[in-house]
Amino acid sequence: MSAADGTGQRHLRSLREALAYPLTSDRRLLLAGGATGLTYLVLVLSTFPQFSLQLVSRDPTDIGYAVSTLTREVYLTTGWIGLALVVLYALLTGVALTHTAALYRQTRASGATSLATVLPGVLAAGCASCGAGVLGMLGFVGAMAALPFQGNLLRAAGILLLVGFLARTGDPRTCNVGEIS
Amino acid sequence: MDSESNITRRRALVAGGATVVFGGGVAYLASRSESSSEAYTPSTYQSLGGTTGYGVELADRPVVGERDAPVDMYYWTDYLCPFCKEFETQTLPKIGRNYIESGEVRLVFLSYPNIGQYSMPSAHWDRCVWRLNAESEPSTYWHWHGEAFEAQSGGGHDWADEETFASITERTAGITVPAVEECRQENSDAIQSGIEVDVSLARNSGVQGTPGFVLYNRDADAAGKIVGAHPYENFVDALDRVLEA
Repeated sequence: MSAADGTGQRHLRSLREALAYPLTSDRRLLLAGGATGLTYLVLVLSTFPQFSLQLVSRDPTDIGYAVSTLTREVYLTTGWIGLALVVLYALLTGVALTHTAALYRQTRASGATSLATVLPGVLAAGCASCGAGVLGMLGFVGAMAALPFQGNLLRAAGILLLVGFLARTGDPRTCNVGEIS
Repeated sequence: MDSESNITRRRALVAGGATVVFGGGVAYLASRSESSSEAYTPSTYQSLGGTTGYGVELADRPVVGERDAPVDMYYWTDYLCPFCKEFETQTLPKIGRNYIESGEVRLVFLSYPNIGQYSMPSAHWDRCVWRLNAESEPSTYWHWHGEAFEAQSGGGHDWADEETFASITERTAGITVPAVEECRQENSDAIQSGIEVDVSLARNSGVQGTPGFVLYNRDADAAGKIVGAHPYENFVDALDRVLEA
């Protein structure tokens, strides 16, 4: 087996462990689920923030109407691929934030104050969100639509960033110090 | 490692089930099609000039409703905007029947091309179809406009091109493709600058996307803003408030 194959397999195993991490306790599962739902909500509402704010500030119970109509809007603008990328992004963010919470707790428990432990997760979630719809929140309405493939390439790039973060972290309870042969 | 930290079959099933429900719910919301409100055809159109107190230039802009209706409803739209289609099919017919036909509101169509590459050309088609019919048969514009939104299809903007808009024009009685083509070529610069005026006013009004609306009571000089395809009830609240201003 070549070194590249070995590295690839190690990353795949690491990614599998990372994705399975929320399944290791009820609380982690709940956190991942909550973060996923919240991320989807933010991503969809941020595709047309002015509309969302107007609607929800007038009557907070209209948030369901906003999510439902904007979900359809995302589908009509970007197609099934675009919508699937947004859903996938929300799921991966849910997992990534569960990891980040675990890393943060470990860092605090060890007495270390290294921001570098937590930063990659926050950056991966934050930066990738630009590709998933938050551009609208910054006032770039129509910016996603004007991009190639209605912004789907940027969304896919954001997802790759998250996958990269998760593959690098693996199971956050273990230290990756190299392969023991 | 204690059992609390193990991957259990129960958690795996819960996570798998929740993911399926989440994905299925999103797919359901995306694919459901609202039943359109009963079709509405206005009884009165206006071809006006000048500038309103709010700063909207009326020349070359389609106006629906009575000339002396107390409230102007400025509607910024884009033929590539799915949200505008939602407004046109769900809400506009009710506003038309309850506010425009009663003489309380006149609707002014303004362009805000912001969605895709063909947004601007489609706005040029729109202006020419109105120009060619405003004085003779303005209802032709209404039918063309409805057909153009009807042509929208999901999954991007590939549907919008020269061929589609030519075909929409061919299907609309009272207008021909060569006439519109001639208008587009001869008036391109004037139409472009008119559209830019509309976009500039939208931005100055804080309208950041389509559909965007400003409701303006001309006598009271009072205005309200709505952005997006709000439910009809929200338009009723806003229109009643501006009417009473």
